[in-house]
Amino acid sequence: MPSSWRTTSSQRGAATGWWDERKQVTGKITSWSRPLPSGFSFRPPMLVRRLRPTPYFRAFHDLRTYQEDIRWPGWQVIIGIETHAQIKSHRKLFSESLTSAPDDPPNTHVSPFDAAFPGTLPKVNPKCVDLALRTAFALKCRIAHRSSFDRKHYFYSDLPSGYQITQQYAPLAKNGELEVQTPGSSPVTVRIKQIQLEQDTAKSTFNPRTRTSNIDLNRAGTGLMEIVSEPDMRSPEEAGAYVRTLQAVLRAMGSSDGNMEQGSLRCDVNVSVNQKGGPPGIRCEIKNLNSVRFIMAAIRHEIKRQTEYLLANPGSSVPQETRGFDENTFETFRLRSKEDAPDYRYMPDPNLGVLVLSQSRIEEIQKMLPALPWEKRSRLLEQYPQLGAKEQSLDVLLNVDNGRDVGFDGEDSGGVVGYFESLCREARADGRTVKRDPVVVLNWLTHELLGQLTARKQTFSDNALTVSQLGELIDLVQSKSITGTSGKFLLRHMLSSPSSDSPTKIATGLELIALPASPSFSPSSQGKGSASPELQSLCEAAITALPSEVAALRAGNRNVLNKIVGYVMKQSRGRADAVAVRNLVEELVR
Amino acid sequence: MLRGFTSPFDATVVSLLQDSGADVIGKTNCDEFGMGSLNIHSCHGPVWNPVNQDCATDSLEARSAGGSSGGSAAAVAAGLCDAALGTDTGGSVRLPASYCGVVGLKPSYGLISRWGVVSYADSLDCVGILASDVDTTERIFHTLAVFDALDPTAAPLGLRKEVYQSTEKRLSSINFAKSNSLEGLRVGIPQEYFPSELSTEIIQQLRNVVSELRLRGAMIIPISLPSTSYALSSYYVLASAEASSNLARYDGVQYGSYVKPPPGTDITKTSNVYAQSRTAGFGEEVQKRILLGTYALSADAFDNYFLQAQRVRQLIKEDFNHVFAIPNHYSDSPVMTSSKSPKVDVLLHPSAIRTAPLLNEVSSGASDLSAYVQDVLTVPASLAGLPALSVPVKDSDRESERWPVGISVVGQWGTDEMVLAIGKVVQDLYRES
Repeated sequence: MPSSWRTTSSQRGAATGWWDERKQVTGKITSWSRPLPSGFSFRPPMLVRRLRPTPYFRAFHDLRTYQEDIRWPGWQVIIGIETHAQIKSHRKLFSESLTSAPDDPPNTHVSPFDAAFPGTLPKVNPKCVDLALRTAFALKCRIAHRSSFDRKHYFYSDLPSGYQITQQYAPLAKNGELEVQTPGSSPVTVRIKQIQLEQDTAKSTFNPRTRTSNIDLNRAGTGLMEIVSEPDMRSPEEAGAYVRTLQAVLRAMGSSDGNMEQGSLRCDVNVSVNQKGGPPGIRCEIKNLNSVRFIMAAIRHEIKRQTEYLLANPGSSVPQETRGFDENTFETFRLRSKEDAPDYRYMPDPNLGVLVLSQSRIEEIQKMLPALPWEKRSRLLEQYPQLGAKEQSLDVLLNVDNGRDVGFDGEDSGGVVGYFESLCREARADGRTVKRDPVVVLNWLTHELLGQLTARKQTFSDNALTVSQLGELIDLVQSKSITGTSGKFLLRHMLSSPSSDSPTKIATGLELIALPASPSFSPSSQGKGSASPELQSLCEAAITALPSEVAALRAGNRNVLNKIVGYVMKQSRGRADAVAVRNLVEELVR
Repeated sequence: MLRGFTSPFDATVVSLLQDSGADVIGKTNCDEFGMGSLNIHSCHGPVWNPVNQDCATDSLEARSAGGSSGGSAAAVAAGLCDAALGTDTGGSVRLPASYCGVVGLKPSYGLISRWGVVSYADSLDCVGILASDVDTTERIFHTLAVFDALDPTAAPLGLRKEVYQSTEKRLSSINFAKSNSLEGLRVGIPQEYFPSELSTEIIQQLRNVVSELRLRGAMIIPISLPSTSYALSSYYVLASAEASSNLARYDGVQYGSYVKPPPGTDITKTSNVYAQSRTAGFGEEVQKRILLGTYALSADAFDNYFLQAQRVRQLIKEDFNHVFAIPNHYSDSPVMTSSKSPKVDVLLHPSAIRTAPLLNEVSSGASDLSAYVQDVLTVPASLAGLPALSVPVKDSDRESERWPVGISVVGQWGTDEMVLAIGKVVQDLYRES
């Protein structure tokens, strides 16, 4: 009937918006295709994403070619990961209270804003923004000069204000990528969809025995970066490697300590499977995975579950669900179906408005960007090609460097690579620059210093030796002023009784200065050139003390020589040079 | 919900007043969470309008003080204090001022700190000032309108200086001092601010003011703000949406009243626990607006309600920007200057559609929608964040027991000084005669 049709259409035009109109035209919600009708000049940035219905696989064009996996032949697995990384800032994202460590007493880091007291207002902590920007640069994202904050509403005891402030519609950064090395195959590029700033929640624990909830607001309002990947991973191993690489990036940028056990890095993993050559399947999201091992196990279980479902129900698709992971059975379980998905009632935050980043601030961040582990590696190899033969030690150095404690607000806590570089090229207080052999320095660092620290159950951050102290110690050994054995002893001593004294002074005090082989040898040895007679007398004393060995040596048994030398070395407490002792003993016995 | 609640900190406005030597003598009644136009939605009962107290000896004759900041307006009108603070989200300072015959200022959004103000709708909430005359209002405004780093929406210092200078420049071109002359002043009368519900008595009062201003040399210019008719709908969608969000925090967990769930409730579901306290703690009007706002933000309604309301709000801002001579310094969208419409310094319109209604009349629930229609004259300035001042006008020709009428002066964002200056002129029209 034309008349009734007209009524409907005019009603739609007036009372309802163009959104319904679009539904009418296309029959169902498909993709964002029609431009905004004229007359709506005002379009907040949030509109764009808001109206794109679940674009997850919709605009899917596979950048990866299918590769058969013998564990699930004929199936393609598609994985995308959302990572929540706690920002390592002194203060929370929107309040003045200090961030907390997991073992802090409950509710000791709380301001009225964190507890959602009436009359409180948020204020963006610029340090959090800077750290997220660093991360965005490291992930090669496009940075939004204007981003905004939105409120995501839900009622739960870990959310005092009833909403979480996040960046749903206009995130801080978009369209990045991360190159991920996987063992035994070529590197994979995972595209980063976006990075958004948001608040962490409080911690609530329900005690079923007493039927009470305990709420700890320490974590409430801590800054998080939500890093969303595109569905570019194809196996549990790639997913694991992605998270590990991302972790290294975050740590290198100082933006998060990326500690999964302590919950400062959490992952939600989206998994779908489809027959080879077919369209992508329906994804399921596994929430809150807190170790790489669990991530891989959860994906493996999902692949098994989803392929079994598809085989048992030919022609249908896997029901879209949000799932949890049981750390005991290593299986995923259903949390809620798509129909039960909560309506978060997103709303632009009326207090925070638009976060405007000036070009100069962005450039400043870019200029001060810390190096990534692999960038440090190639820089070191370029500068010191001789390290190419010591790749294992170099990797130890880089691992320790990336494993260092991440400082607050992006402050560098001083990594071992920087220490290494300063040792190789030390600018001394007197203006001189001392250059040292990088291979020797690397050996001292990785074998001696890091080895000693590990033995003492310490980390590099506990290292008490300054660059000039360790440098001088290495120089003493290199110039044979002290022996290698004495050098190691001196290092141990300086670690256990730290002081600001120079190694030379300490070595002298400990009587570690080497015994010169002859008066003419080693003129630099602190005016103790007359010590040669001491070595002479030590050797003579050895010959007296070991008559049978001396007799055997005279008889031609040269193996005994080592024993005599060893005796002298012991008597000298490591100060003697083994070669010199050997020559002197041979001379005396002859 | 917040009965017995004591905030652990002082609001910035309270500290500023105390630092300047003011005595804070008490708290006043208001509509619950600022939601209401008549101050009848309060757990302490309605506020009685103190004007013409003699005829209001029994509750049948009691009139409303207006809302939501009715207690503040009544306290000033009754002479209990020199001035009072209120909050104005959609007219909650100007309307009670009009009903009680006192001066009420809603300053430009962002000039006075909101730190410590219980949020109703953050993008609209303003701290307002109620006082017996414009001079007192001005003194308090100058004390309070300072930048506060605790308020993220506070106008930055540079912007304040900029707009202050352009206001001063414009004001100096109008020579007030010279024999009461208003030559050079351009006053706009918006045609959309005369709804059919507006009482003829009030129209007459406005006419008197307008002719007086014209006599002094001011140019009276009829103007049009075409989007005004959508303002009320836009306001109620946006304010309710923000309220549903802001009031989500009142769950009885951290503070406020808590109602224990009855035995047998499944307390593993948070919502079951919260529902008890929220049902018992919120009044009827608040619940109504929370539900409305929650709906406006739901996925199905968001586009047609919240976004649509935001678009309307933008149109209303543009309407105002078209008619004011001074550009809007606060908005970050480019100012359109090409418009052919005549430019004005201030707008003049009635503050309310009627004088204070009988409490008996309004609490019966008979005039359900009229309570909202009352806001029609005040919400556009709130949506656009503009300064608006309600000044009482008294017609000396009539008997003194008439109920007060307020006239609103509205200016461009940040021109609060000009609005106060013109308000003083309007006030003095009656003082001198």
